[in-house]
Amino acid sequence: MITEDRETFSDTVEEEHPVEACTKCTACNTVCPVARTTEIFRGPKFLGPESERYRDQHEATVTAGLDLCSGCKLCEVTCPSQVSIQEYIRRAQNKGAREKGRTLRDWLLGHTRLLSRFGSLTAPLANFGNRNPLFRLLMERVVGIHRRRPLTKYQWLTFESWFKRHRKNPPLPLGEGRLGARRSVAYFYGCWVDFNERRLGQQVVAVLERNGIEVIVPRQQCCGIPAVVNSNTDLARKYGVENVRRLSQLPAGVDIIASSTSCGLMLKHDYAHLLEIPGAEQVGSRVYDVCEYLWMLHEAGELDIEFQPVDTRVLYHAPCHLKSHGIGYPAMRLLRLIPGVRVEEVDEGCCGISGTYGVKVEKYDLSMKIGSRLFEAVKAAGSDSVLADCETCRMQVEHGAGSRSAHPIDILARAYGYR
Amino acid sequence: MPDTSTGVVVIGGGSTGAGVLRDLAMRGIDAILIEKGDLASGTTGRSHGLLHSGGRYCVNDLAAAIECVEEGRILRRIARTTVEDTGGYFVSVSEEDEAWEPRFVEGCRKAGITCERISVEEARRREPALSKQVRTVFWIPEDGHLDPFYLVVGNVESARRRGGQVRTYTEVIGFTRNGNRVSGVLTRDAMTGEETSIGCQAVINATGAWSGFVARLLDVEVKVVPVKGVMVILSRRLAHAAINRCHKPGDGDIVVPGLSVAILGTTAVKVPHPEVLPIEWDEVQMLIDEGAKMLDGVTTARAMRAYAGVRPLYDLGAEAEGREMSRNFAVIDHEERDGIAGFTSIVGGKVTTYRLMAERVTDLVARRLGVSTKSTTAEVPLNDREDELDQLRHRPAHLGVPKPHGEEVALQPLLCECELVRPQDVEPWMKDPAVRTLEDVRRRTRSGMGPCQAAICSYRLAGRLVTDRGVDGRTATRAMADFLETRWRGVRHVFWGSQLRQAQVTTGVHLELFNVDRQLTKYFPPPLAGEGQGGGVPAEAAEVEAVGQP
Amino acid sequence: MRFDIAVVGSGLSALIATRTLQRAGRKPVLIWPGLSSLYFLYATVDVLGYANPTTAEAVEDPVSGVRQLIADHPEHPYARAGLPALQNGSSLLLDWLREAGFNWQGTLDRNLLLPTATGTPKPSCLVPTSMAAGDLHRNEPIVFCGFDGYQDFIPELAAANLSHGWNGGSRNVGAVRVPLPGVKPDRLFTSIDIARSMEDATFRRDVAERLRHAVKDDRARLGLPAVLGLTHDTDVHVEFEKETGHPVFEIPTVPPSVLGLRLFDRLRRHLQETGIEMIWAAPAHEAEVANGRCLRIHLKSAGREQPVEAKAYILALEDAVDGAWRAGAHTVRDPFFHQVLAQHATPGERTDESLFAPQPFAAIGYPVSDRLQPTHQDGHPLASNVFLAGGGIAGYDPTGIKARGGMAIATGYRAAQEAMAA
Repeated sequence: MITEDRETFSDTVEEEHPVEACTKCTACNTVCPVARTTEIFRGPKFLGPESERYRDQHEATVTAGLDLCSGCKLCEVTCPSQVSIQEYIRRAQNKGAREKGRTLRDWLLGHTRLLSRFGSLTAPLANFGNRNPLFRLLMERVVGIHRRRPLTKYQWLTFESWFKRHRKNPPLPLGEGRLGARRSVAYFYGCWVDFNERRLGQQVVAVLERNGIEVIVPRQQCCGIPAVVNSNTDLARKYGVENVRRLSQLPAGVDIIASSTSCGLMLKHDYAHLLEIPGAEQVGSRVYDVCEYLWMLHEAGELDIEFQPVDTRVLYHAPCHLKSHGIGYPAMRLLRLIPGVRVEEVDEGCCGISGTYGVKVEKYDLSMKIGSRLFEAVKAAGSDSVLADCETCRMQVEHGAGSRSAHPIDILARAYGYR
Repeated sequence: MPDTSTGVVVIGGGSTGAGVLRDLAMRGIDAILIEKGDLASGTTGRSHGLLHSGGRYCVNDLAAAIECVEEGRILRRIARTTVEDTGGYFVSVSEEDEAWEPRFVEGCRKAGITCERISVEEARRREPALSKQVRTVFWIPEDGHLDPFYLVVGNVESARRRGGQVRTYTEVIGFTRNGNRVSGVLTRDAMTGEETSIGCQAVINATGAWSGFVARLLDVEVKVVPVKGVMVILSRRLAHAAINRCHKPGDGDIVVPGLSVAILGTTAVKVPHPEVLPIEWDEVQMLIDEGAKMLDGVTTARAMRAYAGVRPLYDLGAEAEGREMSRNFAVIDHEERDGIAGFTSIVGGKVTTYRLMAERVTDLVARRLGVSTKSTTAEVPLNDREDELDQLRHRPAHLGVPKPHGEEVALQPLLCECELVRPQDVEPWMKDPAVRTLEDVRRRTRSGMGPCQAAICSYRLAGRLVTDRGVDGRTATRAMADFLETRWRGVRHVFWGSQLRQAQVTTGVHLELFNVDRQLTKYFPPPLAGEGQGGGVPAEAAEVEAVGQP
Repeated sequence: MRFDIAVVGSGLSALIATRTLQRAGRKPVLIWPGLSSLYFLYATVDVLGYANPTTAEAVEDPVSGVRQLIADHPEHPYARAGLPALQNGSSLLLDWLREAGFNWQGTLDRNLLLPTATGTPKPSCLVPTSMAAGDLHRNEPIVFCGFDGYQDFIPELAAANLSHGWNGGSRNVGAVRVPLPGVKPDRLFTSIDIARSMEDATFRRDVAERLRHAVKDDRARLGLPAVLGLTHDTDVHVEFEKETGHPVFEIPTVPPSVLGLRLFDRLRRHLQETGIEMIWAAPAHEAEVANGRCLRIHLKSAGREQPVEAKAYILALEDAVDGAWRAGAHTVRDPFFHQVLAQHATPGERTDESLFAPQPFAAIGYPVSDRLQPTHQDGHPLASNVFLAGGGIAGYDPTGIKARGGMAIATGYRAAQEAMAA
């Protein structure tokens, strides 16, 4: 006879998606770009769920092979059991680094904002140095940054400073868009837009304002992903706590948008899960990728779709971290609304750079090898440029395939007549 | 004329028998250990693996507690390779528990057990999974985890290096007598049926719960009460240290983390026969519910399997039953008691005190044989190999450090990916005549003991049987199937959540990818129509199926 | 997010459903909860290997076998889907594979008999061309080839079993083993590593050369673990046959399965290249139903729930392993409608004593209507615009009859047809 379930564990089947849910199907290893490219990597199944059973807070972490994980999260994306494989690897990396100490290089790369601020302040000098072969050789020897990896160009005027000016003197008065300022968004622009690609930030602001959306730029700290990928979740948590505190103070009804896939994913997901920051869940639920947000407007009938034709054939590369958002490819949908734009997805997997991973002297070759399929496909396609939502993907494609690249917002901005 | 002769035949390949074999070998006495199954396949291998500080016995069974204290300390010295020195906690979760505390503290004091009351906050800092229901915590630094398989194998291997011999799957079917003196043992190979006689000067019956059956062959009575205990294995430790309820020992009051798993224990039910050990759903459910009172995550963790063991409680004639009975042991001198010379039984006790039991019984037998050498088992470490077994907890570190640049230590392949078993860990056992089934390999290496319960490594092991042992393909496939069937018997009791999902992968690999169900139907038809439908694997076949001798 | 038709799933049935919709000019979105846990079982498409789970004799003509099965078991998922769905779905798949540049072969009226990694003959219907030379209806001798240190294919085991199992055991079967060039036997090398290396001509020629020396019988076919290229498998197979001078066939391995990976990789990519949007990393659950129709389902995206609205929904999950249903100790529930699909007094009831027998748990699933809609226990659809394909259907147990691929195709195709009509 079947009785009523007892008020015991009876039917509280395991946690939602704990490490134990792994059924050893090995799907993660088959999609892992690192495991597919080199035989020196045991793969996410081993470093994640399998090793996790042997990790003990009372004992030193075995770090062998951990640093080869690039953090693309494709293992999590593909896991049929939805195990947070990569989070376990991250935690172990952090614990291992805490026990053994971090290299100067990894410490520096984790402190991107500090580095960028310095780069921005000394922009001409920093940019010269970054292109000077002798200086790069020195950097490789001393710090461990591969000398062939092109480094980001810094700009003197930060996005933050630009926005302060813009606020006082908006080129397009609010409400001139189709709908009036019915919505306000807070823009999490991230270090990249602030110090390296102000233009993208300006385009984001223009596109939003064109649609009658008030843009707020709250004070913000680095999202923390550079620290996370450099085995320093402790530092990332510090940044995250600061961001969560600031973003929590935004008035209700103000959504948060990000134009960097990885910053967005940190805010949406990793703050609450990997870093376990109190209040992060509420902030995360308000965060949208910029294209996701615009598509939502479109579905609500609020997006101005009177685009000027843009005659271009572009390739779209979906960043790995975008897949983790679980929102599909909103950029592709938006681009298809624009007359003249012929967009094709180049579905060749991970580009290989994974933030600061491909910058490191010991990872550069591997990173380029991972991306080689993508580079070949881009070269073969012979199109104008490659679009990608993530800045380091764009850097890598430019470097590996020799093509131009841009954020999808670039095309949208052009379709609205913004130059 | 017997087929072989030796000084002493030790019957029983559990911790006691293995300890006796070693003790004899170290005193220079020739000995053969015979075991009707595999080493550690009876009580020892089915224990929960707690290295007792004595805390669990200190109130009701002071003598047993005191033995545990001493033996625990000795084991930490001599069996360092098999002991995880984790410490343990005794926690109170109810008012009744709290009422027990003064008696517990007093018991610890009397037995000489180090016991320190710590704040719940401090305990939770050390063990974050400690349940919210926990009210008070005692820290017992001398609780630990003792790997029962490695303990037995370590003892036997140590004895073998000193000339001791071991025969597994060898049942006693009778004795030869010379007047009132036992002069030999008649044995039968459990797999081949081959009968052999071993001449000897003395026999030690170290068969625990089976002692009565062996003694009966000589028409003497040894009253051992078999008491079943059911345990559930969770797929990760949950805690670093052993967690006990601070109360009168009862059902479901202990969680023992060991190596990569945690074991929830246990129940106590008198059974008619030491091999009739049904696992009831109520027991499984109770273990999980009770475990959850001490540790968070017990209900939501992945249960991998359930299993049952049997305690060999020696009936001293008292009224006591089950847990009330003493965990003490006794040496029965049958020459004195029953007039049968050359036959001695060692009964009762527990894994933690196996060495002392072995020493006591060996003292008596050695004296009778006129050997005056003292036991040195308390001083000489078990494992003079100090390699593989030493590093159970640190297996990940052995697996190769990949370096894209510079010197590279090769990434080693794994045979069992769940339990991090390398091919070279399995290799020596493939050559050992005492190892006859893949279950035996499992006991010595942990292959197949992880979450997937041998879904993948069973194929690799079958391959090893063919390549390393020269077994023919059908026998190897059958051994693989039997191995999976034995795992399945434990899995079935915890068949929900991840272990159910896992089964879809396992059946996928073996039934669909390999089509092994058809292989079995074709070559191993069911013994009787209607039995073992489809697969045709008789349920108990796994324990007796030989995989060929090297 | 709004789409035309939403397909949720990870196995072959989800891919077939999506492709069917695409071919019919619809705009499906594929909500992909991850590569199926059982992806490695789609090395081949098995339509019907055995008439019932315990018979020993293999089915020779799968399509007739399925026709018979439908006649005998009108409740079977094959019967619900109908024979035309299997037939049309299979030709759709073969055409698709061709278009995606993947060489497959086979017809529904004939099973091939291919040796598995244990050397057991196994009936399969549609197979990659790189496996076809293993057919045991052919007479040439077989030499199984393994690699030193590679544990997932044991040529000696396969040979020993096949020499008994192939037509009574008189045929010529052998086994060889060669070291992989530049790889020490104590070095971890997975099937993926070997497959990648095989795309390198120098490595591949070296392996071929070693095998040519090791195999003495000139007429022999070579049976290798499936490692002939990760993505450029067709070329690798053709070249490798030339280089060894023998017919060569691949044998599927335990995960990581190169054959399973190739199939899913290629079909999924082809869908994307031809304009199908995929949503990754957002497992679907919670169907909102009003007035007998599903209004939306919810995706667990990063940060928040994401509603997806569509005209129709196809739930094509593999089985419990991929989240089609969830089993507590007593109760089995579904994640979309929160129906109790089964109740058991003890979890052990869900299993047979033997692992190798048909398992009661495998049949757990939603009851379905004739149109593959999930229904209440009384047979009334839970929502008129939701359709099921794959392992979520009650009674869907392809394991014993070896019919996983065929059942996925038939239900996937049929569900797509019904979704278009909804």
